[in-house]
Amino acid sequence: MAEASAPKKSLPKINKIDAPYWQAAAAGKLVLQKCRACGKVQFFPRAVCVDCFSGDLDWIDAKGTGKIHSFSWVRVPRNPAFKEEAPICYINVILDEGVIMESRLVGDNKDKVKMGDRVKVVFQGTHNPEIKLPMFELAN
Amino acid sequence: MRRKKVCFIGYGSTEYSRKSEASVLSYYAGAIRNALNQTGLKKKDIRGFAVTTQASPDYSPHVAEQLGLEVDWVLNGDYGGGGGVMSVRRAADAIECGHLDIAVLVGGNSFDKSMPNQRTLEYQRGNFVDVYGYGGPNTLMALIQRLHMEQYGTTLEQIGKIAMAQRENALNNPQALFREPMSLQDYLNSRMISDPIRLFDCVMPCSGAECIILASEERAKQITDKLVYLVTDAEISHYQVANMLPDKTTFGQKVVGERIFSEIKHEDIDLFEIYDDYPIAVMIQIEDLGYCKKGEGGKFVEAHDLTYKGNFPVNTGGGELSVGQAGLAGGYLHLVEALRQLRGEADGHQVKKAERALVTGIGWLNYGRNLGTTAALVMERRK
Repeated sequence: MAEASAPKKSLPKINKIDAPYWQAAAAGKLVLQKCRACGKVQFFPRAVCVDCFSGDLDWIDAKGTGKIHSFSWVRVPRNPAFKEEAPICYINVILDEGVIMESRLVGDNKDKVKMGDRVKVVFQGTHNPEIKLPMFELAN
Repeated sequence: MRRKKVCFIGYGSTEYSRKSEASVLSYYAGAIRNALNQTGLKKKDIRGFAVTTQASPDYSPHVAEQLGLEVDWVLNGDYGGGGGVMSVRRAADAIECGHLDIAVLVGGNSFDKSMPNQRTLEYQRGNFVDVYGYGGPNTLMALIQRLHMEQYGTTLEQIGKIAMAQRENALNNPQALFREPMSLQDYLNSRMISDPIRLFDCVMPCSGAECIILASEERAKQITDKLVYLVTDAEISHYQVANMLPDKTTFGQKVVGERIFSEIKHEDIDLFEIYDDYPIAVMIQIEDLGYCKKGEGGKFVEAHDLTYKGNFPVNTGGGELSVGQAGLAGGYLHLVEALRQLRGEADGHQVKKAERALVTGIGWLNYGRNLGTTAALVMERRK
């Protein structure tokens, strides 16, 4: 039996629904879905509005700022390919648009993170040159 | 809703193993065989079959075929850790409707590498969570635990007390993988996994299976004199899903609890089999079910003895934290332990007055919130 190949860091399997989100991220922009029928802003990207079930969804530019809602220092990543990066600061951010986003805190001063800290989005490259991941840094 | 005429008539378990790679089908078969032996039923008496698992890509009809079960009703109890309680509800519906009179429900897991195991991550977990190097459910529950500690002043000592009490319950349970005493220092000093979640906050994945048998009241009386009735049950999936700023420290068990306790009084429950993927999840469910106010779970566990000898017995066999989590059999373990208690068969960890048990199931940590599935039921022993 062949040796198992080394694990690769997880990447999104981009589909029709979230392709605009990943295209924007690759261009350094954070976008969110907004329902044209009722105005609801939602995240993660879906086929319909979670409030009114309309399929008429627009994409809006997010400010890319928010605050830390909760965080955890990941010592044991689920995918072993991330092991060399541990501890990883996994975060929930409340974006200023009023949605929770799961992400990672990066930057030299990330060890100082506390609940409620202001953060701003940065885009980190991956082993696929066409995919960038929105992550966050402490704003100050 | 309040149930009148559906009974639990038997259960079966297998041994739990951290290393075994026996086929998951053989685990299901083992748990079912033990349940059939307890009741004196034959395989051909089984008219309904539900399976809850992540270990094989096979769904219930395929599993039924492989086990040689010819049945009138099949179910994928595919609701994460809610699978045990939620499968019971569906089987009870079918029995009450007269579709069948006996249903066998099984949950199981194994690390058999010859089968493609563990279904792939669902879309939102794959595309918007895993890409950041998260630590699986440990990290998602860590976010919730940190919020509970920050918002309500909940301490590690209070959370650890739940793990310690369950370990004490496990000391005399031969099925438990962990039967050494655990001190507060052991808990606090256990290795950090995804802070504030420590090793002793986590369940041990293992192989094994659990089975329960439900029957119509009429058949139940022919088969056993230990009649345990399903009294009331409720569930909600993806509580707060449309709320983009949800309260992460309140689970759907708040709604489930309101439904359950519109039918029965809080003080009428003798023991609590609360789905315990993490001690903090037990504490939050105690709050959500209405045994104390939101945020006062820490004080509540400080003020109560949670062991099988205590005034608020929780996870009387040790729960998943001390017995082990055989994949989605975790949602069945609590049902089986409740049945052992109500039938007076929990040797070495029997609750003295065990007439009514509350059993919960929670599953599928969802995006940015908490639990995708939340469910509970009450069972009652009638003489």
